[in-house]
Amino acid sequence: MPRAWKSPVTAREAAPTPAAQQQALPFLEPAPLVKPLALAPTRVQRLWFCIWLPGLPLEAARSTEAATAVIEEQQGIQRVLLTDQQARAAGVTPGQSANAALALLPTLQLEERSPLREQQALEALAGWLEHFSSFVCIADRDVLLLEIAGSLRLFGGLPELRKKISTGLRQHGFDASLAIAPTPLGATWLARAGRRACIRDEQNLKRVLRELPLDCLQWPEGICSSLMAMGVTTIGDCLRLPREGFVRRFGAEPMIALDRALGHLPDPRNSWRAPERFCADHEMVQEQSDRERLLNICHELLLSLEQFLLTRQLGTQRLSFSFFHLKGSATELRLGCARADRCAERWLELLRIRFDQLVLPEPVIAIRLRSGMTQALQAESARLNFYGCDDRLTRRYSIVELAERLIARIGEQSVHSLCMVAEHRPHYAWRPQSLLSDWASSTLSEIRRNIRRPLWMLPEPALLPADSGYPLHQGDPLRLLDGPERLETGWWDEHGISRDYYTAVNPAGIRLWIFRNRSQPSCWYLHGYFG
Amino acid sequence: MPGKYAELHALSNFTFLRGASHPEELVETAAKLGYEALAITDECSMSGIVRAHSAAKKFGLRKLIIGSEFKLQSGRKIVALAQNRNGYASLCQLITTTRRAAEKGSYTLTRTALEGGLPDCLVLWVPDQDFTLDVEDHWIRETFRDRLWIAVELLADGRQQEQLVRLQEEGRRLKLPLVASGDVHMHRRVRRILQDALTAIRHGTTIDNAGLILYANGERHLRPLEALRRIYPPELLAETVRIADAIDFSLDELCYEYPDELVPQGETPTTYLRKLTEQGMRRRWPGGIPQKVVQLVEHELALIADLAYEPFFLTVYDIVAFARSQDILCQGRGSAANSAVCFCLGITEVDPGRMQMLVERFISKERNEPPDIDVDFEHERREEVIQYIYAKYGRERAALAATVITYRPRSALRDVGKLLGLSDLQVSRLSRSMQWWDGNKVDDSRILEAGLDPDSPVMRRLMYLVKELIGFPRHLSQHVGGFVISNTPLYKLVPIENAAMPERTVIQWEKDDLEELGLLKVDVLGLGMLTAIRRSFDLIRDFSGAEYTLASVPAEDPLVYDMICAGDTMGVFQIESRAQMAMLPRLKPRCYYDLVIEVAIIRPGPIQGDMVHPYLRRRNGEEAVDYPSDAVKGVLQRTLGVPIFQEQVMQLAVVAAGFTPGEADSLRRAMAAWKRRGGLGGFEEKLISGMRERGYKEEFAKQIFRQIEGFGEYGFPESHSASFALLVYVSCWLKCHEPAAFTCALLNSQPMGFYSASQLVQDVQRHGVQVRPVDINHSQWDCSLEADDEGKAVLRLGLRMVKGLSEAAGQRIVTERGSGGYQQAQQLLERAGLDQRELGVLASSGALRPLAGDRHRARWAVSGIEKPMPLFPSLDRYEATPLLRKPTEGQTIVADYQSTGLTLERHPVCLLRQHLDRYQYRSAKQLPGIGNAQKINVAGLVITKQRPGTASGVTFVTLEDETGQINVVVWKQLAEQYRAELLNARLLGVSGELQIEGKVIHVIARRLMDHTNMLGNLTIRSRDFR
Repeated sequence: MPRAWKSPVTAREAAPTPAAQQQALPFLEPAPLVKPLALAPTRVQRLWFCIWLPGLPLEAARSTEAATAVIEEQQGIQRVLLTDQQARAAGVTPGQSANAALALLPTLQLEERSPLREQQALEALAGWLEHFSSFVCIADRDVLLLEIAGSLRLFGGLPELRKKISTGLRQHGFDASLAIAPTPLGATWLARAGRRACIRDEQNLKRVLRELPLDCLQWPEGICSSLMAMGVTTIGDCLRLPREGFVRRFGAEPMIALDRALGHLPDPRNSWRAPERFCADHEMVQEQSDRERLLNICHELLLSLEQFLLTRQLGTQRLSFSFFHLKGSATELRLGCARADRCAERWLELLRIRFDQLVLPEPVIAIRLRSGMTQALQAESARLNFYGCDDRLTRRYSIVELAERLIARIGEQSVHSLCMVAEHRPHYAWRPQSLLSDWASSTLSEIRRNIRRPLWMLPEPALLPADSGYPLHQGDPLRLLDGPERLETGWWDEHGISRDYYTAVNPAGIRLWIFRNRSQPSCWYLHGYFG
Repeated sequence: MPGKYAELHALSNFTFLRGASHPEELVETAAKLGYEALAITDECSMSGIVRAHSAAKKFGLRKLIIGSEFKLQSGRKIVALAQNRNGYASLCQLITTTRRAAEKGSYTLTRTALEGGLPDCLVLWVPDQDFTLDVEDHWIRETFRDRLWIAVELLADGRQQEQLVRLQEEGRRLKLPLVASGDVHMHRRVRRILQDALTAIRHGTTIDNAGLILYANGERHLRPLEALRRIYPPELLAETVRIADAIDFSLDELCYEYPDELVPQGETPTTYLRKLTEQGMRRRWPGGIPQKVVQLVEHELALIADLAYEPFFLTVYDIVAFARSQDILCQGRGSAANSAVCFCLGITEVDPGRMQMLVERFISKERNEPPDIDVDFEHERREEVIQYIYAKYGRERAALAATVITYRPRSALRDVGKLLGLSDLQVSRLSRSMQWWDGNKVDDSRILEAGLDPDSPVMRRLMYLVKELIGFPRHLSQHVGGFVISNTPLYKLVPIENAAMPERTVIQWEKDDLEELGLLKVDVLGLGMLTAIRRSFDLIRDFSGAEYTLASVPAEDPLVYDMICAGDTMGVFQIESRAQMAMLPRLKPRCYYDLVIEVAIIRPGPIQGDMVHPYLRRRNGEEAVDYPSDAVKGVLQRTLGVPIFQEQVMQLAVVAAGFTPGEADSLRRAMAAWKRRGGLGGFEEKLISGMRERGYKEEFAKQIFRQIEGFGEYGFPESHSASFALLVYVSCWLKCHEPAAFTCALLNSQPMGFYSASQLVQDVQRHGVQVRPVDINHSQWDCSLEADDEGKAVLRLGLRMVKGLSEAAGQRIVTERGSGGYQQAQQLLERAGLDQRELGVLASSGALRPLAGDRHRARWAVSGIEKPMPLFPSLDRYEATPLLRKPTEGQTIVADYQSTGLTLERHPVCLLRQHLDRYQYRSAKQLPGIGNAQKINVAGLVITKQRPGTASGVTFVTLEDETGQINVVVWKQLAEQYRAELLNARLLGVSGELQIEGKVIHVIARRLMDHTNMLGNLTIRSRDFR
């Protein structure tokens, strides 16, 4: 995949400079794009371990054992990006349209490429690789880099380390190309070229790099095709070109990349860190069963959670407390709230409600608080309180908080909101909705006008007795007021209806909603009561 | 008249994606239910009414009313019904203005458009859910005053009583009468399922998300009278009949008038046509007109006068005369085009003396079919002709006919699949299996193969809906070139709307509708070969001074026929396909009429009807020529007893099966449309039984019917074949005698035909013509002719061959070149103003060789060129010389293909020959020396793959090596076995058996091998035909 270069500010573009000075320019170091981590320019012998995962889109997407291909949309056509062994054997090749691939192998499993899953897989791998090095770097969407100079001794030398990593990758189900070199770019290019090289000094590096073909550089398509058109096919060919002419034609960036790969220029990288969750313990000197004291400790834990989340601008929707006992397993307590939050006071309020009901079989010796998945918190703008009203007054009316408190008390499964559904069939025209899932979507999008529906609908229509074809309610004949309202719809699922609905009134003056099926007009059903 | 009813508000499926019944279905049902009348009121459209009109006659509907539904910008809905001819015209005009004012496919109805008050139309106001007319809409009442009714549409929504009461009040208040109507969307209630589906498609949603945009019930169908009597008060029903009685209009009243400016003052069409014909006769036969011709012309003129077709001939003459004045090559074809009159008028160049044809074969009194002349023009200049027609008659009087795009199995499946919630992938899998759609059902195994369960409810719904949807109109598109020209503004005849192309308008009727009403149209079509022929003539004139026209190319040249008989026809018109090439050595055409047959015989009709081999046998004298009867002999004599042309089949239906000429004509129309609409069933029975009764063999009858089916959409009449044959001959003559000019013209007219530029160039090289590469100092934009030392024509490739170079840039290069040419690449930038990218593609094409050396150096040189900076105008920069490798031969070939699609170096296969020898691959040239039925290995670049629908799954692959082409036949089973190789290989190896039949050589494949990896970076696109 060609990647757009971050256009570097080269001196040439900046201002017209005298010709003599221009000649020297390409050798100047342009402003580095990333702040170098290592400040010292002194040569520290580093060693980079590159893991290139050419099959990542497939490995991240794979769901079955059947022949699989990953497809990606290119100019409006679904095209095959990668295939597994089985698909390859059937002649499915990258670049084919999805239809052509299916023509070859009708049972082919097609998966759409998911950059998100790839990213997740890559991060999971990066997390695992942190065992081997303190410096792991996600260098590209399919490239991981480890700085291993410092880890060699710990893992018993390079071959041992390499074996560990490559076995681990295989076990994780990844097919990787590995290479080791003194520069990160050098290692990356070697890996991309499929050379299982292990190069420790820069002299060797240059010799090996010279032979690599251009396509492992991942330079923009335009540059590569230009170079190919000049008969330049390897890195060595590039290096043979006059530097000035090269830079004039292709810009400074490729030349910088070459210099970095060869170790002539520093190539600082960013280290990757796994995302954090909050987890904190409070251990007590002695067992404690005073509930107020326990709650206080919980409060302290919540305060440190708040601090943790605040500094990271995060919030969370779920928390869990574990109360450890000397004997027996810990007592767990989980809290959820409708919107991601970090406010200790609010969590404490919810905790109080649940804590009242919590049965602690034994005294507690330690408490642990863990946060659920953290998420970026959408900060709410605070209201300016011009009128001096008590803020708490408005809080009391917040339906969200009411719902949260109800949920805390009687459980998530018992509290719902109602949501209207655009649907002709009366029994499908509304549905309950969980509150914790997504509060925002429960707004009513479309209200049907001019339609009469009873406020009280029976869960199931009830068969009415009938007297010579006329419906009876509690023994009395019904008078039809209005109708029919004919509903014939829902053929697309198993619950299509074809009914005539009527408003009827019984002698007591109660208005009923009744219907009969068009296929069976003698049977009447009661479906609801108007208020 | 208690309880009678006329439906005044009904939409057919020409209200696209709303109406759920064909107009014919609505009319038939209304007639069966005993309605007094039915109004077809498609939304702002008249597209369906011609069909309704003919159905009304067929099913005996008492009255068909023509109207249209409109939604005003304010949201109000009205239905306007044409009361008489004048009302119809104002309706058409209103539709035209509202549609022309909006984007294609939509309309905008403003209050101003209605200010004229739609004279002679009756109007129904269709209230919305409020049942009131707002104050701001009172102008509706003011505008239509005594012609306005309130439509009461009681559709069982539970508020009928309320609605009736409210509207009665409103009627009293506004002093407007009430009338019952049904807002009909379908002919029967069962269509509600399809109607829901259409609604969901229209809104682009899935059915289970469609919710309230669907109708709650299926009441919008044609309800039986007794049901209506239960629903509506009698006076509301009676009012419908009163309205229907007030309407007196039928489409039969439309009469079409030819434009009258075609005839000069003091002449009548008859005298003027005679005058022009006589002038033409003198021009055609300057040495004296043969008596035979005079007789023929007299006979034709009498026939034309009898049918009053003069204006039609004059219209076509006018268009052709314009084309001729602009030097645009054209050629007429079609039933009337091959008459002596047309030859005299210059509409066709086919000398009627060259083939014994009677004009009655083309124009017949009894059949009452309008004359048909299609005129082909050079495809690149057709637009000039179209613009001439618009300019001459104005947009009001000339417009293109529409083509109704209908749902085909695949499109139906795509839309239905989406609305049922299938994923894109599932849909595209299924749509592959639609190849096996037989009109009713898809083979279950194909659905299983697509990973879906054929018995699941979803699949059953899917198949039901797809079946119902096929054949439904989807939108209007423009016909390829059918023009209607009228003396009065067309919008009084039929509404005009915008087409997708800017500056194009189409009428709302398609070709069949025009025919049904007897309106005449002229087909203005584009033909690539005419462009190539005209260019050849121009090139020859400029090179050698010889002037040729279609008529003056020497006729019946035996050298040309020798070439044709050898199957050496790459690049010529029509007979260049593989099937044709294989047939030529067997058919051995030796005269013009043989070419007429050759053009028509390799077509689905004759192939499916199994006519090809009997004809071949009879022609070669291997089979006796006999006729089942004298009547049949009269029809089939000229084709040795084998029916080949569409006309012959029609005539057979008359003489052998007892069809009336009218019936034969409807058979012809059904034939053209049966794939789209279905319905040859009735004809099959009639044809076969008719022939049986008259003592013909069952086998013969069935054969004729199979051929009729085969004609399908590709029906090929003799009248077209005759015109095409002339172009075949002329293009063959050019290829034979002026190969350089002909190939040059073909290259300049690409893309066209079966073969790529590379194949055309190799072919012309094999015929001894030298071809020179693209050169910055010698090439024109187009390919051109240069003279070699002996004065022989040499083909110079033009800059147009360079991929990625725009014509504008190419022309600048040529104009700025000057006499001295370019010496430095820098000049290209300074003088021709090329940018970096254009310089790059030129360098890669090798065109800069004289300036900068080989491709690699040229590319390096041009990529270093910069626009001179204003402050430092001539900065002579020192540049170190790069170490660049010279391109190898292989690299040069690859670069040639990448840049120009062809190479003048050795053929790529030539370079690989050493490797190929290891597999004992033979070259194309060696094949004739090897005996028939020998085992053999061949290899070559895959240049075409063809799987004709008529060949029961056989794939024809053409391979190319350095010595020529190799034709490979891959049987279906083998194709399955080697799917991957067949689909992917660009360099294909084939082991198989040689099949030699005279000069025709085939390799029957037994094993396929993909050697693409030998090619490296070489990209060659195969041309795949299905």
